[in-house]
Order: sequence, then structure tokens, then C-alpha cells
Amino acid sequence: MSAIFKREFKSYYSGMMGWLLTGVMLLFGGLYFTAANLQGGYTNFSIALYSFVIVLLIFIPLLCMRSFAEEKRSKTDQLLLTSPVSITGIVLGKYLALLAMFAVPVAIFSLYPLIMLMLGGVDLVASYAGILGYFFMGAACIAVCMYLSTLTENQIIAALSGFGVLLVSYLLPSIQTLFTTGSGLAMAAFVVILLAVSLIVGLRSRSLTLGAGVFVVGFVLLTILFNTRSAVLTSAFTSVLGALALFEPFLEFVNGLFSVTALVYYLGVIVLSLFLTGQALEKRRWN
Amino acid sequence: MIQVEHLTKRYGSHLAVDDISFEVEEGIVYGLLGPNGAGKSTTMNILTGYLSASSGTVSIDGHDILEEAGAAKACVGYLPEQPPLYVDMTPREYLLFVAELKKVKRAERIEQVEQAMERTGLIEMENRLIKNLSKGYRQRVGLAAALLGNPKVIILDEPTVGLDPAQVIEIRSLIKELGKDHTVILSSHILSEVSTLCDKVLIIAKGKLVAQGTPEELAQRLTAGSALNITALGEADAVMNALLTVPGVSEVQITGQQNGETSVTVQVPQGEDLRAAVSAALAAAGCPVLGLTTASMSLEDVFLQLTAQAGDEEAQEILEEQEEDALCPEDLEFVQDAVEGTVQPDGEIGQEDDASAQAEQEEADEK
Repeated sequence: MSAIFKREFKSYYSGMMGWLLTGVMLLFGGLYFTAANLQGGYTNFSIALYSFVIVLLIFIPLLCMRSFAEEKRSKTDQLLLTSPVSITGIVLGKYLALLAMFAVPVAIFSLYPLIMLMLGGVDLVASYAGILGYFFMGAACIAVCMYLSTLTENQIIAALSGFGVLLVSYLLPSIQTLFTTGSGLAMAAFVVILLAVSLIVGLRSRSLTLGAGVFVVGFVLLTILFNTRSAVLTSAFTSVLGALALFEPFLEFVNGLFSVTALVYYLGVIVLSLFLTGQALEKRRWN
Repeated sequence: MIQVEHLTKRYGSHLAVDDISFEVEEGIVYGLLGPNGAGKSTTMNILTGYLSASSGTVSIDGHDILEEAGAAKACVGYLPEQPPLYVDMTPREYLLFVAELKKVKRAERIEQVEQAMERTGLIEMENRLIKNLSKGYRQRVGLAAALLGNPKVIILDEPTVGLDPAQVIEIRSLIKELGKDHTVILSSHILSEVSTLCDKVLIIAKGKLVAQGTPEELAQRLTAGSALNITALGEADAVMNALLTVPGVSEVQITGQQNGETSVTVQVPQGEDLRAAVSAALAAAGCPVLGLTTASMSLEDVFLQLTAQAGDEEAQEILEEQEEDALCPEDLEFVQDAVEGTVQPDGEIGQEDDASAQAEQEEADEK
């Protein structure tokens, strides 16, 4: 595991990518720190961090796109999978290297509250809690994007799918507000989702009847639920959407709270994504 | 050393490896021979734990490749068809990484890496980036990586493909050397390579193991007996009659007649040496013997016959294609032998090829 970690981390900084990505993060960090904390007078550094959260939508997919996609393309996964290292070791080695890459700018950010301390007003606790929350949020996004890079051998596709997923996740809170109880929009969304699910079922099982069956049964159930228990249906749906909004829990830290729930949520996302990554690698050997 | 039982690998409806079982003994060089797409690489990928079999088991040194993956993989050094190299590293960095990956102790790493580089002739390239190395050197880096950790078994998938003739010679002599203290399994579709390098040959066609044994055994197994090619001075009838008087001779075939000389092929029962009797009989009949050679089936013939039995028409094409390719390496082997100052028994194969070519030529002349 440590061999993979070291190689991976070194290779980012032996090329231009590592320096470029770190530079971009530091540039935005410095910019928003100056604007929000030094000029704007906010005492919580999390506010600066939150203002350029959107940069993560680019930074993280670019960071993770190479991870497994490139190994598959250049067939170096053959070396890893035939050496006496477990799949867990491979996944953790790779993940920790990405995490370390992200930790470099975050470590530099954690000096900023000290600058504020020298200049006067700072809420140290809220600032450092915010940095911790920010790191966990990034760690969760990295885990998701790393999983996506196991699904393809094309780095560009890995980066685009990572960007797409993070973008949808970022926009979810505003999408969520569209679904009010009894709205036709909610029903339409459900039907679209149902259609997608039955299409996948139909394609995977290569059976038109099964796909159509799933759709018909689902549609009848949905219509009944929609007409009788509309509120339950929409609230269940919005809470599912809420769970997929990766950037939302971090807001608690921005509001000056130390949210254990948020950290647990991020940890959960990380564990699930790493598990799926391991499964994806394992599955490749059986295909 | 390695036990493979009822190995089957399915890709969807395609059966890449079909119920293969074999055993690999320690300290022997094995050759996996078969036309392209026969399932050689798939078999090797399963042996090394890169792919999982659909059914069947593989155990290496007593460790099951699935149950005790770590222990089993630690016994194997693998060079896949395309060496798995990180091109942004130098050979030294890469080999140090692989050594660590293979859990070589920190104190031994540098020594082992240097040893592997020396054996594969990489010392002068150790600090260049792999992306700037030629195919031959990349192959060597892959081979050096397979040697790290001093594995008991070394598995090489088509180790000489795409190399220039001089590199082919070097890699082959390295493999021979490795065979002295490792178990080596190599795959190839070049017959001359397998017959010179390997102690045992496994022939695979269409995912099935169609034959295994030493190259000589395989050649023998397929001929009911061997044959004698004889050229004698005299008319065909006289030669024929003289030969048929020799006990044990059942079938005589005239292959050519020229300037009063007759060439014939005599089928001889397995295990009998009739050379003395035949030449005595011909001398007694007043037909002096001008030439007498023993012909046994070459690995090439065996391969053709077996793959044809497996219903593989492509094998023929590949073999033809190979004969063109094979000219070079085979010639080079003689150069190599001359350089090494040793004479290899594989001279026989060359001779006999010449003999059959001559026979064909003569047949053509007759017509």
C-alpha cells in the first residue's frame, strides 16, 4: 500500500498536473481569503472557503481522472493486481495519495487563520472546524470521483463524469425546491426515473417483457401513491435528493457550527465509494 | 509447483479457455504453444491472478490463487504481453517501486534491483525515462521487474515478440539461464523458439489443451513409427524389391528418381533401428546407398496435426506465416550457437526440413 501511495504522490508532482492544480487552489484560496476575511472583515475563514467551493467541481475531477482510468489504459493494473497486494491495499494506497494531494493546499489554508490572528479579529475554533469540514467534503468528492475513474479507461470521460456528478450534486439543493407536494413536476420526475430504471433492467436482463413489466407496475404504484399519499412520496424523494447533495452539510461549518453529523455523512460517502471502487476492480477480473 | 485443474474461462458466450488441466513441475522450462487467440494469454492471466477463472482451480506452491492470493502471487514473477510500465519513471525508480510492491525487504531492495538490471542489461539505461526507451529495453525492464523478489515461478507472455533479432537472442539466452534456477512458463507462437528453449511443451488450440510432453515425445507420439529417407544408386524396382526383403519394412514410397538414383521413404516400426539392415540389403542387391537419414516428425508437424485435429483452420495460415518469420530467428540461433561455441541438437529439425523441402522439389520435378 505504501509503495502505491508513494509512487502515486510522486508522479503527480513529477508532472505539471500536481503543481498546476495546487497553484490554482492556492490562487483562489488567497483571493477569497483577502476578499472575505482581510477586506470583508469576517472572522470565520470558512466563509472564504465556501465562496470558492465551486472550484472543487473542476479541481477534484481533474485530480482523480487519472487514478484508475490511466492504469487500465496502460495496462499497469496488471502489475498491481498480480503483485502480492490486496485490492484493499491498492484502493487505499491510491485514495490516500489523492487525499495527500488535496491536503497540500488545505494545509497551506490552515495558516490563514494565523495571519488573521496577527492582524486581529479571528474566530479560531470556527475557522479550523471549517477547514476540517472542508477537508472531509473534499475527501468525499475525491472518493466519488475515484470510483468513477474505475469505470472507464479514458481520462477525459472520467473527468467529465466526475464533473457531471459533482455539478448535479452541487445544484441539488435548488432542484429540490422544485418538488413541492402534489406538483406535477415531481410526478414527471418520478416517471423519468422509473423509465430509466426499467430501461436498465430491460437491457441488463435482455428481456423486453421484464423491462416493460417493471415500468407498468412502477407506474401504477406511482399513480396510486401520487393520488392518495402525495406528501409522503415527495418528502421521501426530497430527502433522498438531500442525501446526495455533497456540498450542503459543509454549510453548517460556514454558519459557525461544528457538525458531527456532517463529518459522519462524509465518512459514510467515503467508505461507500471506496467499497464500490474495490468491487469495480474485483468485477473486472470476472468479466 | 503449479496445479491447474479444469480451468475454464468464458467471455459472454465465447469460451476462451476450455477445461484445461495440467501440472507444472519445479525447475523446468515450459512452453505454452498455440496460434493467436488460442487462450495462451488468458491462461497466463488466470495463473497470475489477474483474471479469475469461470470455473476450475489454480494452486501455486500449494496456495490457491483465490483463497491465498497474496502467498500465491508472491511465488510468481509475471511479464505480460505488454509490459506494465509507468512511463514517467526511470527503470531504476520503477524497479525499486516493484520491489517494494513485492514486499522485498528494504535492505535487499537496492541490491536486488541492481542485480536484475545487470542480468537484463539495463545498467546504462537506468536513469532514462521509460517513455524514451525502445521496445526492446521496455521489454527488459518488464523482465527485470518479473525477476524481483526472486520468485519461484517466472511467467513470460510472448517475451520475444516485437524485438529485433539481436535482442531476441539476448532474451532467449537470458531465459535459458533463468531456467537453471527457476520454473519458467513462457508462451509463444514461434515453434523454433519453444523447441529450443523449453523442456516441456503444452499445445493449446481453441482454448483446449491438445497435447503436452517434451518436444521429442510429442513428435514420437504422433508417428506410429519413424521413417528413413534413403537415396540409392539403382532402378526403382530393384531398390524397392531389395527393401521389401528387409524384415520389419512394411511400406516403401518412392519420392524421386534422377540420373539412375532413386529416393525412397521407408516406414519403420517404432523403436526399431533398421538402418544397418537396410543398407546391407541394398548393397547385396547391387544398389549402393548414397544417403540415409532418419526422419521423425518435427514440432511443426505435430503442431499442425494437433491444431488441425482441434478443427483449427487458422493454424495452417499462421504456420505458413511463421515459416517466413521463423527463417530469421532460426538462422540466428545458429549464429548464437556458433558464438556460444555449443552445438544444439535442434540442427536435426533444420536438416529434416531441408530433406522434406528437397523431396517436395523432386516430386515437382517428376511432374
